[in-house]
Amino acid sequence: MSTRTSVIERLRARIGKAEPSTEATVEAGHLKRFVEAIGDPNPRWTNEAPPTFLVALVPVSMHLAEAEEYGKGWLNGGNRFEYVEPVKVGDRITATGRVADVYEKTGASGSLLFIIFETEYVNQHGRTVARLRGTAIRR
Amino acid sequence: MTIKVGDEIPELVKHPTTRQLVQYAGAQGDFYEIHYDQAYAQSMALPGVILHGLLKAAFLGQLVTDWLGERGTLKTFEVSYRGIDVPGQPYSCRGKVKKVDGDEVELEVWGENPDGQHTTVGTATVEMRS
Repeated sequence: MSTRTSVIERLRARIGKAEPSTEATVEAGHLKRFVEAIGDPNPRWTNEAPPTFLVALVPVSMHLAEAEEYGKGWLNGGNRFEYVEPVKVGDRITATGRVADVYEKTGASGSLLFIIFETEYVNQHGRTVARLRGTAIRR
Repeated sequence: MTIKVGDEIPELVKHPTTRQLVQYAGAQGDFYEIHYDQAYAQSMALPGVILHGLLKAAFLGQLVTDWLGERGTLKTFEVSYRGIDVPGQPYSCRGKVKKVDGDEVELEVWGENPDGQHTTVGTATVEMRS
């Protein structure tokens, strides 16, 4: 129990602080491999990113190593994307993530740790192209 | 064509395989073992390898963008994962129009397993070209 409490305290200390940014250029080859993997044959995706591509381009994993002392494994609770402008081949995207909230819920099947994270994606022109809010769960 | 509340989105049936999970793990860069290592997945009390939540989100994204085409723009897309899904069985993506407010249309979307359980549920908002 004390391990769990200290994990939660350490994670809560990160709330609101920007994690180091990551950046990547949208490459036609990566986009092609991604749309083949999801099985979406829409020709539009030869030049434009489909709705969930940004998670593959600049993975901002909120599978925080320090959360792994809590429970046995990870679950993805959900994702919310907000789109501002299309992302195209050649765009250079910078992603900055932050922990938005950390809390524990105890139910019939045991305790779960919820980590809510938010990522903002900015293109080479300095314009925000999309935002992502996600829920990572330790169980 | 006028969009009305209650309109159904044409169903999209996906047939995920373990091969697709490996392909997706590589394309996304998510190498969490529960998606390709049967023994590891079972050690985590899962029936075997399971679909990535974000792969199911991509299926529902395709449902929405296939329906929308060039008629408008996707503004928000939200999914919640309510249950696990395994490869080797069909995954049906479905949806309907929930709200129409001028050019703004809200869709309710979900992914269904062969037992009819909605293991992924979500909402998309689109802005139609006027």
